[in-house]
Amino acid sequence: MLIENMKMAFSAIQASKMRSFLTMLGIIIGIGSVISIVSIGDTMRGLFADLYGKIGITQAYVAIGYWVDERRQSDYFNLEEMERIKEIFGDEITYMDCDSQTSADASCARTTVKFNFTGIDYNYNEVQPINLIYGRFLNEGDVLGRRKNVVMDTVSAVNLFGEENAVGKSFRTTIYGTTDEYTVVGVYQKDMDPFEAMMMGANTEGGEAFLPYTILTWPNDMIYDLRFFCRSEETMDELCANIKNYVARIKDRRPEEIQLITARDQMGQWNGMLGGVSTAVGGIAAISLLVGGIGIMNIMLVSVTERTREIGIRKSLGARTRDILVQFLTESALLSACGGILGTLLGGGLVMAGGLLMGIPTVVRPGVVMLAVGFSALVGVFFGMYPASKAAKKDPIEALRYE
Amino acid sequence: MRQGKQNGERRSFGRKGQLPDYMTENICEDLIRLEDMVKIYDTGVLKVLGLKRINLTIHRGEFVAIMGQSGSGKSTLMNILGCLDRPTIGHYYLDGVDVAAMNPDQLSLIRNRKIGFVFQSFNLISRTSALKNVELPMTYARKSKKFREERARVLLERVGLGKRADHMPNELSGGQRQRVAIARALANEPPLLLADEPTGNLDTAASVEIMELFSQLHKEGTTVVVVTHEEEIAAFTERIIRFRDGQIVSDCPNVPRECGEERKTDASVKAEAAQKGDEALC
Repeated sequence: MLIENMKMAFSAIQASKMRSFLTMLGIIIGIGSVISIVSIGDTMRGLFADLYGKIGITQAYVAIGYWVDERRQSDYFNLEEMERIKEIFGDEITYMDCDSQTSADASCARTTVKFNFTGIDYNYNEVQPINLIYGRFLNEGDVLGRRKNVVMDTVSAVNLFGEENAVGKSFRTTIYGTTDEYTVVGVYQKDMDPFEAMMMGANTEGGEAFLPYTILTWPNDMIYDLRFFCRSEETMDELCANIKNYVARIKDRRPEEIQLITARDQMGQWNGMLGGVSTAVGGIAAISLLVGGIGIMNIMLVSVTERTREIGIRKSLGARTRDILVQFLTESALLSACGGILGTLLGGGLVMAGGLLMGIPTVVRPGVVMLAVGFSALVGVFFGMYPASKAAKKDPIEALRYE
Repeated sequence: MRQGKQNGERRSFGRKGQLPDYMTENICEDLIRLEDMVKIYDTGVLKVLGLKRINLTIHRGEFVAIMGQSGSGKSTLMNILGCLDRPTIGHYYLDGVDVAAMNPDQLSLIRNRKIGFVFQSFNLISRTSALKNVELPMTYARKSKKFREERARVLLERVGLGKRADHMPNELSGGQRQRVAIARALANEPPLLLADEPTGNLDTAASVEIMELFSQLHKEGTTVVVVTHEEEIAAFTERIIRFRDGQIVSDCPNVPRECGEERKTDASVKAEAAQKGDEALC
């Protein structure tokens, strides 16, 4: 009987294709927008997860809280404190530096390029993927000896020296008022997808280079924040709490006055924000589903009136109230589900096309698709209820007489 | 006629696996029995007496014409006999079961199993083929697809439309459509065939064909009740009940009108009808 009803519903929908399509349009747009918004959200979330996976989910920063008004000299870290923290939490911390950066003009012959210098420890390439293609990375000797050696990426090398393999070349730059000659010991390749480039800023004109962090701390020896990587994601919460408490103690501050941000928290914030936006926009899109549902109800009412005679015939042949009810409900559900499927194709197709165009891998979850189509069928059943019950309640004599 | 239950009756859900008591096989010699049946239409402002105290019995296997002018109450009677409507007062026993007290769904079941309708305007469902139209009552009787299709083909063969099974109603002539409707009426092997002005929309030749088909079915044992206002049509039947103002005014066997004259043969009626048709053309 269900199959019979499906067939009947299909032939009824096919009988007036244009009208059926126009009726579905509301559902198509509704489901299409829900699918595309959810998929965009999912895609973004995936991209953020990848991004944070690359920069390290266990990465964290600790500093005096920005909300603390009255600052003391002792709120800043010095190198000794950093070494002590490294010693105490050494088992749980895989890497630590003082997150120091500076920018300065680097010049070689007649070329001058604005460079961003980041101070790092020698084992930085153990926690971050650095695809070294020429030369070597900074070593322990460079860091301890404050040697003026740098590692830069290929783009910076080309910008400054005109060629990728700049190992052994040197340039002049002024850091903290001291002008010195720096030597390139290694060149690495930056692999960035378009999303990373968008989020982290692609470097095309300037330059970027890593140098020993000891160069950037000396002679000031005043560090605003410490950057570290935790050994494992599972224990990082506990570790972070311990570090926070320890820092509070040595700085004579309350733990609430210490700020500790982890990459995971940041990602959670992004996800939360994306989730919020998805829900809000999805909710608005759901309103168009409501409108679509009302459209279906409207057309089904027209259809029931048009087919009054058919209803009379069916009843005279033995159709019970429920048979008629189910027939029309099936029809509206099918109409709506078809709209849902078309909407899914539209929404999913748009997202995929957009992703393809931007070179971003997109995510269209099958669960969401099933939910959307199922929900649209449900919309059809809900809004088909009134017309169908109107059809089912028709008096057979009246219905047969209807012209 | 009534062995259809073993074949292809599919088990449906819940307690409806079995037919209710009133549908069990109680072959009653009086197929239709109306006892003091009154139908009143309540229009809200005034009550209209549609049928006044009708007492009527139609036996199994009869071929009956119900005649009367429009407004005589014959359509009202037809609706009640067809279980589309219920009497206001009195009893209507169809195959020994009082239909007067039944609810709409019970009436649907009775219409489905015990009554075959043939309407003046054919009332085929236009979007579906002749075959599907004939299958429809069997669909509502929850027969299996295979059984439905086989039986529908047999029935269409029987009314002479075996080759037109897959045609749409609008591809068929009036007479052919009415024959599809008759095939459909026979689908669930009902004991009673009710025809409401079955030839009203047909030309004379087609009318004769349809009435001959009814005669044939009658000979095979089906009880046929035809509502008409045409004497030529009534002439095919064996009993004529005349209505006027909601009452039966005469009920007599359709015997030769003058003593000694033989009952009109089908052929003679056909000739007469054809002649009449020609006159109408002139």
